[in-house]
Amino acid sequence: MSERDWTVYDRADLRRGFATVRGDACDVTVALDGLHCAACAARAEKAIAGGAREVHVDVAARSLRFRYEPAVTQLSSLLAALERSGLEPRLLAVPDDTDHGQRRQRLSLARIGVATICAMQVMMLAWPSYFGVDSGPDLEPLLRWAQLSLSIPGVLWAGWPFLSAAATSLRERALDMNVPIALALLAAFAASALRTVAGDGELYFDTATMFVWFLLIGRHLEGRSRDKAHAHLRLLAARRALTAQRRVGRSVETIAIDALAIGDVAIVAPGETLPADGRLIERAAELDEALLSGESRPVVHAVGDVVLAGSLNLGSTALALEVERLGRDTVLAQIAGLLDNASRDKPRVQRIADRLAGHFVAVVLLLAVLGAGLALGNGADGERAFGIALAVLVASCPCALSLAVPAALAASTSRLARHGVLVANAGALTTLADIDTVLFDKTGTLTRNDMVLRRVFSLDGSELSRATEIAAALERGSRHPIATAFASVATRLDAESVRQTPGAGIEGRIADERWWLGAPDSAPWPIIVPADAGQRPDDTLIVLCNPRAAVALFILNTRLRAEASAVVQALGERGMQIELLSGDGAEAVAAVAGRLGITRHAARQTPAGKLAHLQSLQQHGRRVLAVGDGLNDAPLLAAANVSAAMANGAALTQSRADLLLLGDSLRLLPLALDVAQTTRRRIRENLGWALGYNLLVLPLAMTGHLAPWLAAAGMSVSSLLVVSNALRTERRLLPTAALPVQELRA
Amino acid sequence: MSSLYLLIPLGVLVVFGSIAAFVSAVFSGQFEELDAQADKLPDDER
Repeated sequence: MSERDWTVYDRADLRRGFATVRGDACDVTVALDGLHCAACAARAEKAIAGGAREVHVDVAARSLRFRYEPAVTQLSSLLAALERSGLEPRLLAVPDDTDHGQRRQRLSLARIGVATICAMQVMMLAWPSYFGVDSGPDLEPLLRWAQLSLSIPGVLWAGWPFLSAAATSLRERALDMNVPIALALLAAFAASALRTVAGDGELYFDTATMFVWFLLIGRHLEGRSRDKAHAHLRLLAARRALTAQRRVGRSVETIAIDALAIGDVAIVAPGETLPADGRLIERAAELDEALLSGESRPVVHAVGDVVLAGSLNLGSTALALEVERLGRDTVLAQIAGLLDNASRDKPRVQRIADRLAGHFVAVVLLLAVLGAGLALGNGADGERAFGIALAVLVASCPCALSLAVPAALAASTSRLARHGVLVANAGALTTLADIDTVLFDKTGTLTRNDMVLRRVFSLDGSELSRATEIAAALERGSRHPIATAFASVATRLDAESVRQTPGAGIEGRIADERWWLGAPDSAPWPIIVPADAGQRPDDTLIVLCNPRAAVALFILNTRLRAEASAVVQALGERGMQIELLSGDGAEAVAAVAGRLGITRHAARQTPAGKLAHLQSLQQHGRRVLAVGDGLNDAPLLAAANVSAAMANGAALTQSRADLLLLGDSLRLLPLALDVAQTTRRRIRENLGWALGYNLLVLPLAMTGHLAPWLAAAGMSVSSLLVVSNALRTERRLLPTAALPVQELRA
Repeated sequence: MSSLYLLIPLGVLVVFGSIAAFVSAVFSGQFEELDAQADKLPDDER
């Protein structure tokens, strides 16, 4: 294998795309496809030992992270050294927030650690008071001051996220769960600190530190599940190519991705990522499109197919593509954008839960005061009243309530995305569970846009294979759907001076003879369709003629999607009423409906007619899922309760659908319905549990039957239950991973 | 008993010391890529 030219990575203007700059040094991450074992790892470290520092090799993720100084070392020499060691380096793009995310994770871990240490130490120091041991007038203050000094990092630093979030919440005049938490923490800490100084009274340092510890663990687990949900997004970002190989005349030059222009011919070496969307030229290619469509098997594309940026060239030779879409216009960028939007979008259920939590907090604050007041009124001392107020604050904190919805939605959305269903509107997942009617569009949805050659008849006794080859030669290069029927016919014939008359036919010269191919109505000769043609109402007929006679008759048909009948059946099994609406003629629609076993169908539907039909269904109490190709049926999709569209190519962002089925396939529709059902069940369980728990413990706390520390433990366990219940959705529903392990860890 | 007057403050100091050590370890990345270290070969030259 010839050595690649890595020098493009030495350019300062490109560095931003792949390196995290720290002063004079840069951190980069390199994927090493040839990294398999510990020995390889040692080899990699040796190879770059001269110029790199802080080398981290991760064999499981097949990646290498190191720091180098651009002023001293050229990155290209390090990459070349790795390549010479047989490690096949591939520089990974850095997502913009890596640095930020790393710092956040480290802070979170540090806070948990500090909270753990402090909580345990404070408990040790509070030991004598637990058992009413009188430690004497000299030792007692020492124990108190020691607890105070350990609680400063344990409550104020480790618990800082809750305190600052509560301050934000108050500034924005919206009560959230952080307010009672912060209030409880500060009250417990301040009261105990004052009593430490005064040298008298009960201390709550142990409760406060333990509360922070529990809360942090819960938040850490929740954060991890959220990170998992975004893993797909990060993978997409990392797939961005940084450079491209452009063919100029007979040579190939390596350029920055920004310099690539529409119409350029880009060359993609084996194992490299496609830099842009474009049309495959020269030869077929085998691509890995797992991130784009959820399809984990390699996909073979023929010359002329549109291939997508972010796909991996799995073949053993370089492929060439003519660039059609770049940067933000690529499907890869659009998917990333959609996922990003969806993860920020707050669905209605969640807004309701948030508002509920807000009211709940207000009630809790009132109840805390009320509980303390009642205790005082019943003759309890201030000490006990304070303990009750603290217990109410802690026990009834609606943490679980606030987590119930987002945790379940995040888990489902991420799993669906990995399988190739993008949830563009997060609220759609909950609505989808109520759907009882599915409305299909025909063309492009249940059928493919391309046609198949069903039968060929000779009209003048000439050879069929030659007639087919002539037709194929005439249609080669045409973008008309009819041409797709002949795309698979191999021919050496070449058509010259081809002329196309829209709506009629195509003519050209092949081997010095004039040929015409087109609809029977506009044919130069009268056509009699043979009686044994087995013609079906939805067939398309075309004839091939030469100046002497009509030569052959071709019967074409639109192709049903391979998965269409299985999907229709699966939806039927789920109790859906399935309807087919189409703008096509009655016979064609009936034929397709018959083949799929759909009993309700309507033909010759205008967009307005489809909309009226949908609205009448809705007026009869039906909740409708509309499935279309996302372009021609926009009004229908917009009016439906939930809409799903087959997304491919540029149609992605223009499509207004709630669910986007990637990979140009319907097969994921039943899966999406199942996930929606499970998600709704999890949300209900979570909300039920959270509300039930809070309502149960409130009376206990108010009557003083719940010690503050027990309240803290109960609240944390409740939050953990909610989060792990949401994650259960994820694991149980979709056990198959669409991506190889190494990619998930990249 | 009187040794407690020395040991308790000393204990608090030790805790603060270990907190500092732990935090600095976290921020130097010691708790990341835990599996990667196991794949390293012992290197005699270093």
